[in-house]
Amino acid sequence: MVRRPALVRPRPPAVLTSLPARFSSRLHDERVAAWLGMALGVSFLSAFATGLISHFMQHPPAWAQWPSRPVNLYRVSQGVHVIGGLATVPLLLAKLWTVYPKLWQWPPVRSAAHGLRRLAVFALVGGALFQFVTGVLNIAYWYAFPFLFTTAHYWTAYIVIGALLVHAADQWPKARRTVMTRPQDAVGRRAFLLTVAGAGGVIAATTAGEAFTPLARLAVLAPRRPGTGPQGLPVNRSAAAAGVTAPARDPGWRLTVTGRVARELTLSLDDLRALPQHTARLPIACVEGWSADGAWRGVRLRDLLAMAGAPAGARVRIESLQRGGIYRTSQVAPPHWRDPLTLLALGLNGEPLHLDHGYPCRLIAPNRPGVMQTKWVHRVVVE
Amino acid sequence: MTAAGLALIAVGVRGVVTDLDAAAWLAWFAGAAILHDGVLVPVVLAAGLATRRLPAASRRVVHAALITAACTTAVALPLVLGRGRRADEPSRLPLPYDRNLAIVLAAITVAAAAAIAARAIAARRQGRSRPADRGRT
Repeated sequence: MVRRPALVRPRPPAVLTSLPARFSSRLHDERVAAWLGMALGVSFLSAFATGLISHFMQHPPAWAQWPSRPVNLYRVSQGVHVIGGLATVPLLLAKLWTVYPKLWQWPPVRSAAHGLRRLAVFALVGGALFQFVTGVLNIAYWYAFPFLFTTAHYWTAYIVIGALLVHAADQWPKARRTVMTRPQDAVGRRAFLLTVAGAGGVIAATTAGEAFTPLARLAVLAPRRPGTGPQGLPVNRSAAAAGVTAPARDPGWRLTVTGRVARELTLSLDDLRALPQHTARLPIACVEGWSADGAWRGVRLRDLLAMAGAPAGARVRIESLQRGGIYRTSQVAPPHWRDPLTLLALGLNGEPLHLDHGYPCRLIAPNRPGVMQTKWVHRVVVE
Repeated sequence: MTAAGLALIAVGVRGVVTDLDAAAWLAWFAGAAILHDGVLVPVVLAAGLATRRLPAASRRVVHAALITAACTTAVALPLVLGRGRRADEPSRLPLPYDRNLAIVLAAITVAAAAAIAARAIAARRQGRSRPADRGRT
């Protein structure tokens, strides 16, 4: 009986073992990968930070209070999140193309540690692509995925940033070598990197105008155009979609101020119009990245709460006529309701509020996501 | 840094498992990576091979134009397809995105053609003004 030596295994076909060597472009290279990786690191951290701002503005922890100023803080942070994210698409695709030969390295796993490292890279690649694909679909209102976008985008962000830290720790020496040494070859890296930056620039130039109004006419590939919509302002959810057309038009509509107040108030639209009116120029800054200014006119929320005798430190809940939906109500913390710019608006850009902008009455406050600017308000509850 | 990274991954995975349909999430997570590695990159590599016959001087410009055009198209495609349009919200996706994308792609093509022409003219001028250099390429 002849025993086969345990160490001799059938050799894999050469087409598998030699695959990485067959990629002929010299741009599949450590320096290119490192420069793109560093740029991606900056971009991902910026997206993570601005994403967390948006998340915690909408779901504030009990100990935190967001300031109501600067007025445009959320507008800028969410614009950076979305437009910056879109402009990062070429960076990510270029980086993955650069390191693509490593996907086919042989043997696929050399050791347990190597296997874990590759798993972390898979988490980074899968997570990054997931964030970009769902993000791009979401701002185009194409809900092709069977889960709630915000929840999925939020939790996946932790996986991406975690995997990014693991990967950065692992690749640190290469990044260091790239920054600290001069290449001695004539590979055209600069042209390639400039091309990638230029592609990001084209995407940013054709979309940024949806948040930065002076560039609105250039935003030919943005899902929104400032100035387009009823009364010159885009609408995210129409009265018809929210199912409030009839109750919002009902002449019997009343605004009630209730809860922990000294005097409950019940006001008709004419009662509200008889109160001191103020104008505030404030943006609708949508979580989807677009934003546009409007000149709102109405009653200061703090005047109304003073009339009702609400305690100074109270939180306020604004309720819409909508029957359901996660954005039916919104919370207004003291820094926001005490701000003189925070209005229950009755008019926009010189006209009575359009039905799709929240007629008869809507909340508008500075430095706050659009989904929390509750429309078709009928109750103000002091908690 | 590695420990912090692993902790963040654990936070994310816990959130996915508790708050989401994890199987559907995983299908999109892994699906995106598989489609990218199995379809998108091979298509890009094939496009790279197809441009091999071009003269070296114009090849780089063509690559730059293709990269820019492809990335712009990828980001604009959901707008062009317009699946998110709603009749009661005309301010959502209000532009003719198919026409706009065509204009942007045409502009990229024109810019690339101009760059190739400018290079060719510069090369010819250089050749004429410095005859001693001729044949030294």
